[in-house]
Amino acid sequence: MENHYKELSYDVLVVGGGIAGGEAALNLANIGYKVIIVEKELSIGGKMILLSKVFPTLDCAACITTPKISEIDRHSNISIFTSSEITKIEKKAEYEFVAIIHQKPRYVHIEDCTGCQLCEEACPVNVEDQYQYGLVGRKAAYIPFSIASPRVAAIDIENCTLCGACERACPTSCIDFTQTDEYFRLKVNSVIVATGFKLFDPLKIPRYGFDRFKNVITSMQMERQLAPTRPYNTILRPGDGKMPDNIAYVLCTGSRDKSVGNPICSQVCCMYSIKQAQLLMGALPMADITIYYLHIRAFGKGFNEFYGQAQEMGVEFVKGKVAKIKSADNGNLFLRYEDFEDGIVKEAEHDMVVLSVGILPNMGIDDVFDGEDLNLDEFNFIQQSDPLASPAKTSIEGVFVAGTASGPMDIPDSILSSGAASAEATSYLRRIKS
Amino acid sequence: MKENRIGVYICHCGGNISDYVDVNKVKEAVENDEGIALSKTTIFACADSNQKEMVEDIKEQNLSGVVVASCSPKLHLLTFRSVSERAGLNKYNYVHANIREQVSWAHSDDKIGATEKAIQIVKAAIAKVKLAEPLEPITVPTVNAVAVIGAGIAGMRAAIELADAGSNVILLEREFFIGGRIAQFDNLCVSNETGKELITRLYNEVMSHENVTLYTGAELVETSGSVGDFKIKIKVTPRYINSHCAKGELQKAIDVCPVKVPDEFNFNITDRKAIYHNYPSEYPQLPVIDMKNCTRCGECEKVCSSIDFSQKEKIIESNVGSILVATGFDPYEPEVGEFGYKTIENVVTLPQFKRIVHYAKDKLLYKGKLVRNIAYIYCVGSRQLDGENKYCSRYCCTSNIYAAITAKKQFGNINNFHFNRGIRTYGKQELLYDESSRMGDIYLQSFEDLPPTVESVNGKTVVKINDYLTGGKELEVEADLVVLVTGMVPRKDNSIEKLLKIPKGRDKFFNEIHMKLRPVETVIDGVTIAGACQGPKNIMESMNSALAAATKSFSLVDSGELAHEPIVAIVNADNCTYCDLCSQACPFDAIQMIEYNGKSIAEINNSTCKGCGMCIPVCPTNALDLTSFTDKEIFSMIDAIANHS
Repeated sequence: MENHYKELSYDVLVVGGGIAGGEAALNLANIGYKVIIVEKELSIGGKMILLSKVFPTLDCAACITTPKISEIDRHSNISIFTSSEITKIEKKAEYEFVAIIHQKPRYVHIEDCTGCQLCEEACPVNVEDQYQYGLVGRKAAYIPFSIASPRVAAIDIENCTLCGACERACPTSCIDFTQTDEYFRLKVNSVIVATGFKLFDPLKIPRYGFDRFKNVITSMQMERQLAPTRPYNTILRPGDGKMPDNIAYVLCTGSRDKSVGNPICSQVCCMYSIKQAQLLMGALPMADITIYYLHIRAFGKGFNEFYGQAQEMGVEFVKGKVAKIKSADNGNLFLRYEDFEDGIVKEAEHDMVVLSVGILPNMGIDDVFDGEDLNLDEFNFIQQSDPLASPAKTSIEGVFVAGTASGPMDIPDSILSSGAASAEATSYLRRIKS
Repeated sequence: MKENRIGVYICHCGGNISDYVDVNKVKEAVENDEGIALSKTTIFACADSNQKEMVEDIKEQNLSGVVVASCSPKLHLLTFRSVSERAGLNKYNYVHANIREQVSWAHSDDKIGATEKAIQIVKAAIAKVKLAEPLEPITVPTVNAVAVIGAGIAGMRAAIELADAGSNVILLEREFFIGGRIAQFDNLCVSNETGKELITRLYNEVMSHENVTLYTGAELVETSGSVGDFKIKIKVTPRYINSHCAKGELQKAIDVCPVKVPDEFNFNITDRKAIYHNYPSEYPQLPVIDMKNCTRCGECEKVCSSIDFSQKEKIIESNVGSILVATGFDPYEPEVGEFGYKTIENVVTLPQFKRIVHYAKDKLLYKGKLVRNIAYIYCVGSRQLDGENKYCSRYCCTSNIYAAITAKKQFGNINNFHFNRGIRTYGKQELLYDESSRMGDIYLQSFEDLPPTVESVNGKTVVKINDYLTGGKELEVEADLVVLVTGMVPRKDNSIEKLLKIPKGRDKFFNEIHMKLRPVETVIDGVTIAGACQGPKNIMESMNSALAAATKSFSLVDSGELAHEPIVAIVNADNCTYCDLCSQACPFDAIQMIEYNGKSIAEINNSTCKGCGMCIPVCPTNALDLTSFTDKEIFSMIDAIANHS
């Protein structure tokens, strides 16, 4: 095995190609460092590239992300490894890290694929589309999503029947089932961990009925319904395809909730829900939107004004904790909640419910460190060793953290934290000379 | 005249364009035009495979110009410029035609009309590329030095980072002591550190860097030049005390000074002398004489040999490549009578409360009276219904809850009553809110349009509220101390803003170019912003923005030169009579008057000109033109569109 490793050498390894990792990589590449981004998904861009519009400016997320992504992609100092995972990072000495990259086969030669999608048409297999959060299906030979980078096909080998239809359809013969796993041994001087977050799984709160009731969806599913590359080209409730006209948001789903082991606030759900409410009022002008909240955390620049704007537009804000959701025969939903203003338990009917799910750490990155420990905080986010003076520093010198890997934060804060991580990495690298 | 060999590529954009525009028809409409060597349609022009093909085409066909009709140039202009460059063609011989945002997305209801419009746009681009001249980027040398304005935590952190990375730093502090607002804080939340400890750490690090020069009592008074080479003038006010002095003598000098003025460092809850230092975080460790209040009685000189009234104000000039602004915030100063401020004796602000706790020993006393019941009124000066400050100040909920918990732990026997409008302890700060609730703090929430009231009743201070959480019941608390949880406002002193012309947002804080794409840059090239001058932030957030701004400033000065787009205004000296209209129209101060062949004409500063074209139409003698968008090129484009329709 050992001698199968291909050797690579860069100045900095960035683990995670979301908006935080990408920004950190760009900062470093722009001052001349050679950077490698290792991304486990098929495309870089992380969660942000899948969003609709972003608060509080209502910029289209794709319009911000794609130019950034193409800048990263064409930067001569940046190499990108997609569908790749870091399996080990060992600190040999100061400024000397050795990492092992495991690149899974895509079964497509990236350089030759034109993204023509003929393979998609030819493929007979239908499975759930993970990038549309299960709202629609995709093929086993597929382009991850329309603005993916690289925008090339991949074969989902677990679901592929090896029928060969895609191979025959491909005009550039870029599909190659003989591809195998590849391993690289990577030498770098510094590491930036930008592994992002995962969303709370609402199945952990069975009383909200997610999955059992088709018209209860997550906020990320609503995000996809609102995005320019949306699957239905309008807003539909998945249960029966009806256009909803009375939508409820349940804030703090999986946040500020000790019963699911997450006592902290996720920092973004209030604002993205308010944003979605505003977008929904544009998409469905007759619809009523009600947001059930505990406290509205509209704290950032322009956030409180954005909250005020939603109130003026007619979004209903109800201070109350939703206890349980029941379904009626027609697919409508009954929310049982404690109304704080009146101090009594009430019930309200809505025809669609959006669970504003919180932010949880992406686990596992600490396990790949060999020798020195990468410390986590009590919530399993990466611990900042000096949060006030050097927020990007971790327990390992030379390893820095960017974005939501250290805790919940919104996009502007993630970008700033990437600035911090790249700054710290720069001064760490400068010390090699002295 | 050169022979035109132009390559045209019409992109499907995977259906984004081709679903509404008949791309083959567009190709056919142009392929036989004069000078067209090659025309193609492509599924995705930006795909790697197509880019490679374009490179080969340019080389093999010896193309003199390229047009790609695809998406917005914001997305892929640079992509195709770089394709041209890779093929050995000057990148300004590439012209981008936007037939997605401007055509297919805008006219999805009219396919025939969309196709016609796409043809016109492509024909116009072909007309332009025929006239396009090869250009080279304008490079300007940069000074590898950065001026950091403000030596609070953000400014110091940025200075350290810049120095570490290898730039020279001039760190300016208007006050005589560094540390800014954090110097006034004791325990900092989410750490066991005090404000003084954090500042000590940063100060020592700043001083350990040879390439950082710190000036205190220093103000930026003049700037000229532009990114890469700003000339700055700094006015340094003397301390009137020689740096080498025996400490004992200086303390005597402070003791004998007969002047007493309110101590702003302690938010006027204590007095200081005219010769003073900011206890406890006194860096640099040398007192100062406040000449505004000094009576020149000479008492201090009698007991201390290092007093020196002959010291003079100094002007220091320097050149820097970038200016990083970290001027911080002011705490909101409530109006007289706002929740009893300055009309009821025991009403203080949160910053004052922190100083009161700082000076308290084992008992919390205010004006000699024991404090047991504390009422905190939130959102004072923030989220105003009637006032101008519509924004949330972000740090105050957490900061106040932490202060309340700290007071309770330190003095025991304290009852905290939080009169809030919805607590915003976002993220991990939630744990503090939880802790405070568990410690028995009482939270009362007001209705949005019905704030609590503070009244003096028979010598007692009573805070009343209609509490949202108990069905609007009117509740009251007799408070020994009322703390107004005041938010952040922009600095009253707006000299830096005026000097550098930094634009402000709706909230009156400095505005970034784009919150997500360029969060620490301003529209003034080379001027970056860090910390709370850009908007309310807590310490960690300020540090992140300081480090991000340092990265940005460093990238501007590090390489020794900056390359600018060569698309700039040009002056025809024969036609120009210097009427000054152009310089008035220029938003970037890029036009100056010079003497040339015995007459006054306009001159364009190529390093500040952005090629925006604002000056062109105002010129009455048609003496101005814009490279890459010359009148000739624009007219040829209009002709191409007009001839086709």
